[in-house]
Amino acid sequence: MKDLLQTGLLIGGGSLVALSIASFWIPKALGWREKLAGLTPLMRELWWTYSIYVWSSHVFFAVLALGFGDWLMGGSGSAIAMCTFMLLWWSVRLWLQFFGFDLSEIEGSAANRVAKHLLTLLFIGLVVLYAGLLAWNTGWLPPGGPR
Amino acid sequence: MNALSLEIGLRGAGVMLVCLVVANFFAAKRWRYEENLAGAEPMVRQIFHVHCAYILSIMAALALLCLGWPQLLMDGRMGRVLCGFFGLFWGSRVWVQLAYYDRQTRRENRGWDILFISVFATLSAMFTLTALFP
Repeated sequence: MKDLLQTGLLIGGGSLVALSIASFWIPKALGWREKLAGLTPLMRELWWTYSIYVWSSHVFFAVLALGFGDWLMGGSGSAIAMCTFMLLWWSVRLWLQFFGFDLSEIEGSAANRVAKHLLTLLFIGLVVLYAGLLAWNTGWLPPGGPR
Repeated sequence: MNALSLEIGLRGAGVMLVCLVVANFFAAKRWRYEENLAGAEPMVRQIFHVHCAYILSIMAALALLCLGWPQLLMDGRMGRVLCGFFGLFWGSRVWVQLAYYDRQTRRENRGWDILFISVFATLSAMFTLTALFP
């Protein structure tokens, strides 16, 4: 199970790096500049500020998964807290993917459909990964967790 | 600086973060987010709400950690990495306030502007200090 989780962390971390890089294309793909043009300057500034901070959080999660996997599987209180937080983060994002966003205005091109399915797959994978890590750290997974 | 004063500082940071979370709800009303977003396309509105909620959740989780388990931030390599990240996070927020946000709006709300810059700078200093604490 430990090997599986370690592999999951590598794949999850790599996927987060890919997501962070791909995020640079999101504003263009969704036409943010044109769509935000009608907002007041402050709302536009808030928009970009929030977006960049969420993006930086994804980069940090990637750094954690790729550089601090041992710590994330170490069974410490802080590892449990971090895994719980990331599990909540991605669970809510997965829920939003299915029930939160109104995607009807997005062009139904093949590329957009593929991107949507890849994102859904990524969110499912991350939820499973962090649920697994949480279960491992709390000792719910065989062979009895790290302690 | 000893461990006790660092722990007290982190709890103080936790209180500031709780205040920031609460302040965000007032900001939404003060800056009329709903009216300003009313003309935007649904997706734009939804992404704004999602990003806003996720940033709030980061602040709330960090507040919880600072108030309830500050020692987790002070112990080990990971605590340092986390504090280093939040040192940068809040340090960059000072920069965003000074270099990016509309100067006219800041001038008209100078008191709040200075208060928020001070809070962001204090949070950045607190987390950076914790990251560097031997």
